Amino acid sequence: MSAPKTIPKDAQVMIQILKDMGVTEYEPRVINQMLEFTYRYVTTIIEDAKIYATHAKKSSVDTDDIKLAIQCRMDQSFTSPPPRDFLLEVARQKNQTPLPLIKPYTGPRLPPDRYCLTAPNYRLKSIQKKVTPSAGRITVPRLSVGAVSSRPTTPTLGTPSVQSVSTKVGAPVSLTGQRFTVQIPPPSQTTKTTTPSTPAVSNVLINPSLIGSKNILITTNMVSQSASGDSLKRKHEDDDDYDAL
Amino acid sequence: MAAVQGGLVDTKDEVDVKTEPASDGFGNNTANDSRLLSAPPGSSTAVGNNKPAAGTPEEQQTLLAVLQFLKKNKLSESAEILRREAGLPEDALDLKGTDASGSGQGGAAGSVDTEGGNANALLSRVTVSASAGVQAPTKAVGEDQPDVSVVLSAYSQQGDPALYDVYYSSLKKFIESVLDCHRAELSQVFYPLFVHMYLELVYNNHESEAKAFYEKFSGDQECYYEDDLRVLSSLTKKEHMRGNETLLDFRTSKFVLRISRDSYQLLKRHLQERQNNQIWNIIQEHLYIDIFDGMPRSKSQIDAMSGSLAGEARREANKAKVYYGLLKEPEIELPLDDEDEEAENEEGKPKKKKPKKDNVGSKSKKQDPNAPSQTRIPLPELKDSDKLDKIMYMKEATKKIRLGPDLLPSICFYTFLNAYQGLTAVDFTDDSSLIAGGFADSTVRVWSVTPKKLRKVKTAADLNLIDKESDDVLERIMDEKTASESKILYGHSGPVYGISFSPDRNYLLSSSEDATIRLWSLQTFTCLVGYKGHNYPVWDTQFSPHGYYFVSGGHDRVARLWATDHYQPLRIFAGHLADITCTRFHPNSNYVATGSSDRTIRLWDVLTGNCVRIFTGHKGPIHAITFSPNGKFLASGATDGRVLLWDIGHGLMVGELKGHTDTIYSLRFSRDGEILASGSMDNTVRLWDAMKAFDDLETDDFTAATGHIHLQDNSQELLLGTYTSKSTPVVHLHFTRRNLLLAAGAYNP
Repeated sequence: MSAPKTIPKDAQVMIQILKDMGVTEYEPRVINQMLEFTYRYVTTIIEDAKIYATHAKKSSVDTDDIKLAIQCRMDQSFTSPPPRDFLLEVARQKNQTPLPLIKPYTGPRLPPDRYCLTAPNYRLKSIQKKVTPSAGRITVPRLSVGAVSSRPTTPTLGTPSVQSVSTKVGAPVSLTGQRFTVQIPPPSQTTKTTTPSTPAVSNVLINPSLIGSKNILITTNMVSQSASGDSLKRKHEDDDDYDAL
Repeated sequence: MAAVQGGLVDTKDEVDVKTEPASDGFGNNTANDSRLLSAPPGSSTAVGNNKPAAGTPEEQQTLLAVLQFLKKNKLSESAEILRREAGLPEDALDLKGTDASGSGQGGAAGSVDTEGGNANALLSRVTVSASAGVQAPTKAVGEDQPDVSVVLSAYSQQGDPALYDVYYSSLKKFIESVLDCHRAELSQVFYPLFVHMYLELVYNNHESEAKAFYEKFSGDQECYYEDDLRVLSSLTKKEHMRGNETLLDFRTSKFVLRISRDSYQLLKRHLQERQNNQIWNIIQEHLYIDIFDGMPRSKSQIDAMSGSLAGEARREANKAKVYYGLLKEPEIELPLDDEDEEAENEEGKPKKKKPKKDNVGSKSKKQDPNAPSQTRIPLPELKDSDKLDKIMYMKEATKKIRLGPDLLPSICFYTFLNAYQGLTAVDFTDDSSLIAGGFADSTVRVWSVTPKKLRKVKTAADLNLIDKESDDVLERIMDEKTASESKILYGHSGPVYGISFSPDRNYLLSSSEDATIRLWSLQTFTCLVGYKGHNYPVWDTQFSPHGYYFVSGGHDRVARLWATDHYQPLRIFAGHLADITCTRFHPNSNYVATGSSDRTIRLWDVLTGNCVRIFTGHKGPIHAITFSPNGKFLASGATDGRVLLWDIGHGLMVGELKGHTDTIYSLRFSRDGEILASGSMDNTVRLWDAMKAFDDLETDDFTAATGHIHLQDNSQELLLGTYTSKSTPVVHLHFTRRNLLLAAGAYNP
C-alpha cells in the first residue's frame, strides 16, 4: 500500500467506499475504473439536469431536475430485470402451449431464414452508366458490391444467384437470351441494410443488341467482396470499377 | 408489490401461498377459505387495533386505491359490493376496512393485487374486513387518486419505530429462555424477522431508527447470511429499495420456515399474549411456517438445510413425481466388425445385443417405472450418422475402465496459456475430440484434441465438382486448404460465459453477456443463428443430451428452453429469486436443473414448465451442477466450497462433501457413476467415492415425509484424492468414454 499522501482524495474516498461495502479483495485498477465511472455518471446526470432546468425555464438547477435526470437515466441504462410475478405470468402463458412435434428428416434444424444469420450480408448496388450510346437509354445494371460493414462472421451458406453469371465469363455468345437474376437494390436503400431485407430481384434479359465488349465488362466486373476472406464463391476481379460508397 | 403495475395474476400456487399465512397458522396447509374463515378469530388480538385506526388517512387511501384498482380491472360487481359493504356513497373514495389482522395491509393488499382477477377471494376478503370493523367514508371525491402500487406496497405503520428495538429484544429473550430442543428451531425466525423489520423502518423513512436497529442486531444473525446483511446495510432510504429486484422479491415472497408443532405453539402463545404483537403480524404476513409433527430438529439439521434467500422449501414443493429414470436406448444392430478383440456379434443376431457394456442402467426389456415414456417429450429421431455415433460409443464403452476407490482415474489437464484471465467457459465434445473455449474478449475458439485437424466444408462451387457417389464423400466435402489446429469464431459482443457442444458434434452453442445465444456450425465454422430473448447477460447454456433442445439461464432470473429451429423459447422457467448461474439437462432430457445466486437449485419439468423440486442448503451462489449417469442423483457445488448430493426421487439431501476451500466451478460423475470429480478455484481436483456416498441411504417414512436428514460427517472417508495444479483453477471436468478424466483451466500465475 503506497503512502496515503500520494493518492488523490477521490481515490481515498473510493477506497473507503469499497471497504464500507465489504469489498476487500480487488485489483488496484478497480479504483481507477470506479472513479471513471463515477465521474462519467455524475457528469451525465448533471448535464441532463441542466437541460431539464433550461427547459423548465429555471435559472439554476435544483433537486427536482436532478431527480428527474436520475430517474430517466435509470430507466434507460440501468434497468433491472422484470419483477417476479410478471415473469411467472409470462412463464405460465408460455408453458401452456405443448411442445411442438419434430418433423423428421429435415436436414439442419434451423429457424426460418429471416431469423438466421445465414443470408449474405452485402447487397449489390446498381450503377447508372452509359454502356452503348447507340443502344438507347438502356441502363444496364452494373453489378458491384455495396459497402459492407466488415463483419467477419459473414455467413456464407447462401449462394446469391448472381454467381451463376460469373462462371460464364468468356462465353459472351451464351449470354444471349438467357435470364440472369440480378439484384438491383432500390436507390433509396441505405448502405447498411441488414440481411433480412430481401433485395429486389429482377430478371434481366440481356438483349443480343447489348452484347458487345461492354457486356463482358459487366460479367467480369462481378466483384466479390465479403468481409471474411474465406470460403467465398467468387473471385476477386478488377478493383477499378468499384464505386466508392 | 411493484407487481401491481400490470395487474397480473399470479399462478394459483403463488396465490395459495400468499393467503395462507394470514390464517392463524393451524391451517397452514389448507386452502384459501380456511384463511378467510379463521381470520376473524385469529386476529382477535389485532382487531383491537382496527377500530381506532380506522380513520387514518393511509387506510382511506388504501381503500380508495383498491376501489380504483377494481374499477380499472372492470370488476364492477366487486367494486359495487365493496362500496356497498363499506357503506360508501356512489363515487365516494372510501376507506377499505383493513384486513382482519389489522396490520396486514401490506400483505393482504398485496394479496389483493395478485388476486385481482380472482373476484371471489376479493369479495370474501371484503366481507371479512367489513365484518371486522368498517369505517365510514370520509374522503371527498375527486382527490388525487393514489397510485395503487404505491399504496398497496407500503408497509403499514405498525407501531412506534422506536419500539422495534424493544420488540425484537423481547423476542430474543423469550427464545433464549425456551427449552433447548425448541431453541434451535425458533432461532430460525430471527433472520427473516430482522430483515423485514429493518425494511419496514426504511420504507417508512425512519432512517436513524433503522440504522440503530441494524447496528444492534445484525451481529446476531447466522454467519451465512453475511452477504445479504451487507447488501441490506447499504439500503438506508426508500429510494434505494426501488431498483433492487432481489429485495423486492424477498419482500413479496414468503420466507419458508419449518418448525415442529410444539415449538410453534410455544411461539404463538408467547406472541399472542402480548399487547403489541407487531412481530406476530409480520410473521403472519411475510413468513410461511411449514408445521410438521414430530421431534424438533437439531441445530445441525437446520443448518444443513437453511441458507437460501427464501428459507427452505415447503414439503409440497418436493412432492411431485419426477421421472428420473433413463430413456431406453434404441436397439442398434452392430455391423460385422473385424477389428474388435472381443467376440463380436454379427448381423442377424439380435440376441447378443449390447447390454455387455452397461447401457447406463436401462432395464433392457421392461419399462422402468421411474423412467419417462419415450414420447413424453418429442425428441428428434436418430439419423444414420447418429446411429454410427452410437455404435462408436458402444465400442468405446467396452474398453471403459471400471473405476473405484482402488482404481482411480488418471487426470489429463488441458491448461490454457496466455489467456490473461479471460477464459470464461470451456466444453468438451462427448467423444473428447474437440475443446471449445469462451473468452472475455467475446471470441470462441475451438481446438482439435486429436491429431485430426479442423476443416471447413468446401464452397458450393467446389461441392458441385466432387463425386457424390464415392465412399469417402464425407472427407471429400472438406476443404483441405482450411485445415488448422484451431478455429476462432467471432460474433459475440461481450464475454462468452457459456459453451456447449451438440451431441452430434455439428453445432456449438455459446451464450454471452450481450444477451444472445449463438449457434455455430462446426462444418463451416460460421454463425448460423442468434437467439434473442434474454435481455440481460446469459450465464450458462447447455444442449440436451439428445440434441435439438437447449436451455439457457441468465441474469433475468429465468431459464429458457429453446429448440434449434424456433427463434423463440419453448418454455420459460421462472421462479428463482436471483440470477441463474448454472443450467443442466437430466440424462433423459425431460428435466432441467438450474442453480442460482439465491442459493437454491430447482428442478423443472420440460413438459409442463413446472418446478418439481427445490433444493436448499447451500450457503453461497451455486456454480456447478451435475446429474449422476443413472439419473437418480444430483450433485451441486457452490462458493461455500461444499459439494451437496441430492436424491431427486425423494427430494432430500443425502450427502455433503467438505474439503474444497474455494468456489467449486466444475463437477462430473464418471461414466458409471462410481466417482465424483470436483474442480475448484483453489486449484485442486478432488475425487470422491460416489458409490459409497449413495450406498446406505436411510429413507424411512419419517425422513421422506418431513425431509429431515441426518447427514453423516464422512467427507474424509469419501475423499479419494486431491490433486493440485500449479495455480490453475479448474474450470471444467470431463470423463472420456474410457473413463479418463480431462480437466481444463487457464493458467493464472
